[in-house]
Amino acid sequence: MRGLLTIYRRELAGLFLGPLAWILLAVSLLLSGWLFVAVLKDSGGDVTVSLRYTMGASTALVFLPPLLTMRMISEETRTGMLEFLLTAPVSDASVVLGKFLAALSFMSLFWLSKVVYALAIGLLGTQPDWAPVLGGYLGAVLTSALFCAIGLLSSAGFGTPILAAFVGLIANIIVLLLPMLARLAARDWVREAVDLVNVSAHFDTFLRGVVDTSALVFFVVWTAVLLFLATRLIEVRRWR
Amino acid sequence: MIRVSHLTRRFARIVAVDDASFELERGEIVGFLGPNGAGKTTTLRILAGYLPATSGAASVAGFDVLRQSMKVRELIGYLAEAVPLYREHRVEEMLAFQGRLHGLSRADRKRRIPAVLERVGVLDRRRQLVGTLSRGLRQRVGLAVALLPDPEVLILDEPTSGLDPLQRIGVRELIAGLAGEHTVLLSSHILPEVEAVCPRVIIIHRGRIVADGTQDALVRDLGGAAHVRIEARVGPDPREVLRLLAGLPHARRVEDRGPRDGFRGIDLYSERDLRAEVGALAAREGWGLRELSWRVPTLEQLFARIALDLSGDDQPAADPGRVLALAPPDGEEPS
Repeated sequence: MRGLLTIYRRELAGLFLGPLAWILLAVSLLLSGWLFVAVLKDSGGDVTVSLRYTMGASTALVFLPPLLTMRMISEETRTGMLEFLLTAPVSDASVVLGKFLAALSFMSLFWLSKVVYALAIGLLGTQPDWAPVLGGYLGAVLTSALFCAIGLLSSAGFGTPILAAFVGLIANIIVLLLPMLARLAARDWVREAVDLVNVSAHFDTFLRGVVDTSALVFFVVWTAVLLFLATRLIEVRRWR
Repeated sequence: MIRVSHLTRRFARIVAVDDASFELERGEIVGFLGPNGAGKTTTLRILAGYLPATSGAASVAGFDVLRQSMKVRELIGYLAEAVPLYREHRVEEMLAFQGRLHGLSRADRKRRIPAVLERVGVLDRRRQLVGTLSRGLRQRVGLAVALLPDPEVLILDEPTSGLDPLQRIGVRELIAGLAGEHTVLLSSHILPEVEAVCPRVIIIHRGRIVADGTQDALVRDLGGAAHVRIEARVGPDPREVLRLLAGLPHARRVEDRGPRDGFRGIDLYSERDLRAEVGALAAREGWGLRELSWRVPTLEQLFARIALDLSGDDQPAADPGRVLALAPPDGEEPS
């Protein structure tokens, strides 16, 4: 636990000590602010719909997690930092979890900007529908958690950060598009199988303002499985 | 303190460490010596708990490095060859991170961090970004990081690689200063390094431990090439001279090095220093002595010999003449 907290603090500091996190934050905020205003104008001033758009259809959702996590394991393997961490008196799981939580904290901070939009508009006089806003926030954080876990797994699996980010990004896109592709499939079992990994459907329940336990469990379990695999992958590399 | 028995580590095709066994007592400084790719780093990584062994066992202070890894990690300070440090942090932040990883209290960190920085001589750089430090300074900071939790055992992988000669001396002195308080196992492929710091040496070659002992003992047991070098103006028949020398007590072998501007060079191999006896003999026989010296092979010569002897037929020595000069051939190994 002590190790986990130490790693988490270091990773978070590490993110913000480099330029990457600031650039990502600035660009994403700019783009999502732009998207929000555009949808707001288009929908004739529907705040709730605009917020749903900026969270559910945001490119930040698929782009940010792999870019945040790409260096965390792959680069540290190369620089020997991972060797340092794995020979320190902390468990492998703490190392992976600490890094994961740092990336997730960044994402939670980023998504908080949407709650700020809602607050600002509320102050200006139009109260948004708070259930979808807060539900959407939770959904966006949970989906980001899943994508951060995919990113870490990719970072543990590939030797260079760029490759890790690319594979993570592709994986995220496939995960989001899979349900759409499954509709083309003729067989029922394909659709049933895809339902097991249907991220968009579960995110949608949050975006509607419903906090569904099964959706919550869906995200937590998949994230945990991926983080477990990332930890195992690091361990397996030592045996090779 | 450190116990390694029948340790073997295989990677896909190669055997990096092959049935290695050795022990380190508390407070010892031991040099782990071998050419590049001999298996030094692999052995150290196994001890540090980074790599698992294929077979065999290793323990630190009685704790198994694999099964009681956390205990072992608390006890050792490990500095990998790459000197891993977070470049974007300041020196003291890196140390604070290490302190927290090892569960040092805030008060302990406040006390220990300046102390270890002072010890390695980089206290004035504590606010500097690690990424802007020179190689030598980074090496020192790496050592400070390893020393911070005051570990009982220090495992240092090539702690002087990439340093200039002055920096090397600095790091060497620093390590020598750790004797007694810490058990130190340091690897190197640079002999003078090890000769200067480590009383005891373990030599690894192609994954096998080929020698283990104090430098003197190794040179004595494996070298077998200590000799008195004589240059003297002798009579017309050098064979008589050789016979007289060979007849001295404890003399093992006499080698005629031939005439050189009127003097004859002779090496008298023996287990002990026979200069006095040779001097007395020369006085009695009326030889004009020009040189009389006791020559002990250095660790370097021994190392070259071991490495070349074991390299077998598949790798002929690049320059046999030089090898001969480095390590005088000696068929009779002491039993």
